[in-house]
Amino acid sequence: MRAVHKRYMREFVPAMLGYTVLILASTMWLKTLDGTLPRAVVTLLPVVPVGFLIRAMVRVIRDQDEFERRVDLVSIAIGGSVGTFGFFTYGMLLSAGVLPSPAAETVAIWVLPTLLFCFGVAKCAVLRHYRDQ
Amino acid sequence: MINRVRELRGELGWSQADLAEHLDVSRQTVNAIETGKYDPSLPLAFRIARLFGLPIESIFTPGE
Repeated sequence: MRAVHKRYMREFVPAMLGYTVLILASTMWLKTLDGTLPRAVVTLLPVVPVGFLIRAMVRVIRDQDEFERRVDLVSIAIGGSVGTFGFFTYGMLLSAGVLPSPAAETVAIWVLPTLLFCFGVAKCAVLRHYRDQ
Repeated sequence: MINRVRELRGELGWSQADLAEHLDVSRQTVNAIETGKYDPSLPLAFRIARLFGLPIESIFTPGE
């Protein structure tokens, strides 16, 4: 693993763990918390590690070599398109009453993991394209 | 683009990882260039030419 990717893992893993813990904690905490301001603060807690996640991603894309950057940007384009269009389609099915409506926070919690999953699958496909002939 | 990177690397007895280290890129990048699936930027192409001590046009030629 190159130095730029070691640094990425050092930055990404704690941020992702922090996000996971805070999103679960804030969701549970909100069930018993009263008051608009405290509820707003607790709701926005997961935004902090997301900021670090974005920072880690921007830094690795900026500092890796040109081919790696191309693979990541193409993967983000494909994964982002599939993920967001998937959510849009899901929303259309919900509004049409075809699917049972989940709680709003359940949908919100799954946005980031879904996009990351779509990015991961897209990156595997893009790398496979460039692999040995 | 058609290139002679694999041939030139072979002449030096280097692995893809060796060449990648000299160019400060990943092994995947070297592999993608050698297989013709990725055309390097002009700065990287010049670094490759400088490393092999050859003019850029003797390493990279336009494909069909």
